[in-house]
Amino acid sequence: MAVVSVPHGDALAHDGGPDQLYVETRELRLQGFLLFLVSDVVLFASFIFAYLYLRNTGQGWPPAGISRLDVAFASVNSMVLFGSGCTMHYALENWKHNNFTKYAVCMVATIVLGLMFLGGQGYEYTTLMLKDHVTWSGSGIFGASFFTLTGMHGFHVAVGVIYLTTLLLQSLHGKYTKDKYFGLTAGTLYWHFVDVIWVVLFSLFYLI
Amino acid sequence: MHIDWVIVERTVAAVGSVIVFVVAAIALKNDWKTPGIENQVFKVMLGLLAIGGVIAFLAGIDVLGRFSGAA
Repeated sequence: MAVVSVPHGDALAHDGGPDQLYVETRELRLQGFLLFLVSDVVLFASFIFAYLYLRNTGQGWPPAGISRLDVAFASVNSMVLFGSGCTMHYALENWKHNNFTKYAVCMVATIVLGLMFLGGQGYEYTTLMLKDHVTWSGSGIFGASFFTLTGMHGFHVAVGVIYLTTLLLQSLHGKYTKDKYFGLTAGTLYWHFVDVIWVVLFSLFYLI
Repeated sequence: MHIDWVIVERTVAAVGSVIVFVVAAIALKNDWKTPGIENQVFKVMLGLLAIGGVIAFLAGIDVLGRFSGAA
């Protein structure tokens, strides 16, 4: 397939039509999306390093008067999120191989698992706040760093659930084809990113 | 009958993490020779997902998470 350069500011007037335009701009959109993910990595890295710095300057961790976090429940919740990463990956694979039914099942499973993770996080927050009296503003560095980082991650998961639901609806309405599915690739990249960030946060807050 | 929920949670976490590790490893193996930027990123992500499965398994069987501030 011959690659024709697109004149600046005149992309839609391209002779090859929308398909040719898609092929030519796909790499650019992919690079742009990867740059977005890198910027998100920087955002999380900033907060994580701030957390590690504050943690290492304190007197023991968690500070006196704050009970230790529930590793068992967090492990189950982590499994839910990691499992959703697997289902998302196979959703994209099934789309590539034209198995629409399996794709839809995997997408729905991913969305449901994402919602379950958010529910688990809500349960954990409620338990911490009501039972252990750990709050964002009233528990010093521990509460502030825990709720800020896990809350920021939870926000990303919530956005991801909305994003994947939108992708599923778009695919049901025929927006994507076997050859044109960049949105699904981007959604899978985003969801994997959310998973990987949780690997780091889970290790830092619950295991170390 | 008394149910020890911690043991239930740890069992679910351990079994789930094995499944996640196996699925991620198989997906990584299948994608190993695929070209393209996004597939390279997918490989890294799947590798980290498999590592996450190992970490959660170790937490599930109570090997990790017993130190410092963890319960």
